[in-house]
Amino acid sequence: MIQQDTKELEERAIFVMREAKTKFKNVAAMWSMGKDSTTMLALARKAFLGKVPFPVIHIDNGIDFPETYAFREELAKKWKLDLIVAKSEIKPELSGFACCGANKTVALKRVMEEHGIDALIVSIRRDEHGIRAKERYMSPRDKEFKWDYKNQPAEIWDDYSSKLDAKGHIRVHPLLDFNEIDIWQYVKKNKVPVNPLYFSRNGLRFRSLGCTHCTVALKSDAKNVDDIIKELESTETEERSGRSQDKEKMYTMEKLRALGYF
Amino acid sequence: MMISRVTLLGHKDHGKSTLIGSLLISTGSVTQERLNDAKKISQQLGRQFEPAYILDSFSEEREGEMTIDITRAQIKYKEHAFEFIDVPGHEELIKNMMSGASYADFALLLVSAKPDEGIRDQTKRHLFLAKMMGIRRIVIAVNKMDTVDYSEARFKEIRKELVAFLTKIGFQKKNLALVPISAYNAQNLIKLEEKMPWYRGEPLLDEIVSLSTKRRADKKGALRVILQGALEGTDMLSGKVIRGTLSAGEGILLPPRESRYTIKEVVVKGRHRKRATAGENLALTLAEPIDFEPRGQVICGLGDDLKATNRVNAILFATKKLGEGTKIKFNGSEISCSVKVDNIIDITSGDTRQGSEIEPLGAGNVTLDLSKVIVAEPFDKLQEMGRFVIYDNGGFAGIGIITS
Repeated sequence: MIQQDTKELEERAIFVMREAKTKFKNVAAMWSMGKDSTTMLALARKAFLGKVPFPVIHIDNGIDFPETYAFREELAKKWKLDLIVAKSEIKPELSGFACCGANKTVALKRVMEEHGIDALIVSIRRDEHGIRAKERYMSPRDKEFKWDYKNQPAEIWDDYSSKLDAKGHIRVHPLLDFNEIDIWQYVKKNKVPVNPLYFSRNGLRFRSLGCTHCTVALKSDAKNVDDIIKELESTETEERSGRSQDKEKMYTMEKLRALGYF
Repeated sequence: MMISRVTLLGHKDHGKSTLIGSLLISTGSVTQERLNDAKKISQQLGRQFEPAYILDSFSEEREGEMTIDITRAQIKYKEHAFEFIDVPGHEELIKNMMSGASYADFALLLVSAKPDEGIRDQTKRHLFLAKMMGIRRIVIAVNKMDTVDYSEARFKEIRKELVAFLTKIGFQKKNLALVPISAYNAQNLIKLEEKMPWYRGEPLLDEIVSLSTKRRADKKGALRVILQGALEGTDMLSGKVIRGTLSAGEGILLPPRESRYTIKEVVVKGRHRKRATAGENLALTLAEPIDFEPRGQVICGLGDDLKATNRVNAILFATKKLGEGTKIKFNGSEISCSVKVDNIIDITSGDTRQGSEIEPLGAGNVTLDLSKVIVAEPFDKLQEMGRFVIYDNGGFAGIGIITS
């Protein structure tokens, strides 16, 4: 995995977030308390004079890890976040793809409507998945949250041309260029607080965090950020290996994203 | 480490995605897991293993065997790092290709040596666009050499025609390299293939290393800061230093206004600083009040003769016939304009001819009359100050670069 120049990545992320804040009336961000969306908040604090100037949304299905909830409370207080918790319901008969689609996406639609949000910052990265690699920095979603990936808008030089249709919204992707290892480099350099579940306990750690149902820990002795960076330099597995929804069948991610998953 | 970005160029089916896939495999830059996925998908589709599936991730791309939208793939080779930007070759997907190419430092062109493929109009169109977008160096891979029995004559024929075209549209010979390859069979990619003993150059990736370049912000040149807007809830303006260095306490100009302003504070990444340099996003306050919309305004140093104008000459590439409501998007502002075509550029020969309307996927020299003044400079002097995107009521319509 290639470590990039974090300064260049940081400038791009700041530019994209400021551009979103300038162009759209009501920006909000998804915050899963994972390393990526927490890094995004650290970047937002740099872009906007030390504070996060938009609400952050946690889609809470009630089955996240206890450590995740504790981390949410602690950081929301420390960084004075405008936290919106959108409760979603887990239906016991659904799992994997159907579960993510039903509970997360439905809850998000509701909260966006309630708050009149027209642009949503989502901390996806190209190297996570072949489908995410095809994203734009700013990408329109229609009122059903669908991603028209076969007809994405031009995004030439610094011109993000995404237009809002009547009831749609724009997804904003400031971290698109970061690799997994760049996130950890950024966390290290900027002392970004992270969820303790990323660090090894009893020989296991989480590399990518979802809910307790779909996330599997991997074997690892990485006990701190330096260990994680070292581990990632020579990894042969994909970051989301422990996320069952990606693996169920071909093109699951494509379907999820087309349906508005983030 | 610093990564140079390389955009792929070339006609559809000449092997762009296959080449990047092969390079990822040859250099060990793809995880075993993703490689296995691509193998599994080839099997499920009942096809031979196709390296392009590592990049082409949409079901429509794999089933239709074509790239629809851009993607990026990173490769480390001999202490150098490259990000290859894969782009679609289809004419109707040219806005996606332009989106990818606009981020590149240099280019890698694919031309198939197959007798019925070779140099096509779309090959030349991509090269023309690359030149327009500021790319100066091109590595050319003449692909599918296995289908022409590794013929030196075929390679030379393609080389002759391409070099003639490229020099005519303004590329310098020293900034070009040509390598005969087979992307699918990974020949001449990282080691020389014995079936082409007549080839005297280096393998493709070594030629890429030799020609590689990286655009760098110029910290010493005359100051240019493009303002992005006002930071909500504060009294600060946001912007990006495009060239030079801006210092707190410095006197500056905001053309076309004649009065002098003073930079009161400079904040970079949340911290007060003495100065901000090229490439950095900043926030600033002025000592004097302003009574204009900051977005799109340009800061320059005292004594600079940077001017505002409502008429510019430009080269325009249009993806469609320009219709009602033409406007340019320039440094964050949308400005209505009328377009007068001075002449047409034939992008397959580089010649100009008379004409008053640019055909779809064609180019021309134009004069733009704008509904308000802009602060601009020729693209060749400073890219960020001389490039724009063009729209009409029907949406995206092309790009332009300012010549004077």
